[in-house]
Amino acid sequence: MQALQQDLKRLDATDTQVLGVSMDSAFADKAFADQIGVTFPLLSDWGGDVTRKYGIYVDKYKAARRVNFLIGKDGKILEEQVDKDAIDPTKIVDTCERPKMKN
Amino acid sequence: MQNRLANTLAESLLSCVLAVATVAPAVAQGKQADSGMTPMPKVGDMAPDFTLKYFDGNDLKEISLSQYRGKKNLVVAFFIFAFTGG
Repeated sequence: MQALQQDLKRLDATDTQVLGVSMDSAFADKAFADQIGVTFPLLSDWGGDVTRKYGIYVDKYKAARRVNFLIGKDGKILEEQVDKDAIDPTKIVDTCERPKMKN
Repeated sequence: MQNRLANTLAESLLSCVLAVATVAPAVAQGKQADSGMTPMPKVGDMAPDFTLKYFDGNDLKEISLSQYRGKKNLVVAFFIFAFTGG
């Protein structure tokens, strides 16, 4: 989340909104956001319905995998980063800054 | 007479076996679909829509994926737990 926060201005400039999602309560997510200085919304998927819908629920931990989805204005998925690869969002930020994405 | 009875019995047995043979795989498949997870959507797939809440400090507010359609690109970043690293 902090890495995305650091890239937020670059993402804003490409017309890209960032949303975090976890299976924590909305209040825990807000406290977490304040603690680490995240200004974009951290959404609460309490119960995990959306996490399951995206096929990334891990029963062992009762939580989501770490995954970044880049979704275009047409609603289609343009890029995915999964598990350790999702820690550094540079690939997604670079994709956003490609000329064809700026429309 | 006895032959006829035997024939009828054999026929009904056969149809029972056939019925089980046709139904069993369907049941097994149904079970598999129930326990199997939805696969993760792939690049090029439509992102499944959702509506979730966040707390902005004053109120719980709703955000839907579909509200950004035609307006903004989105990075939807699933993270494991709050307060457990970046």
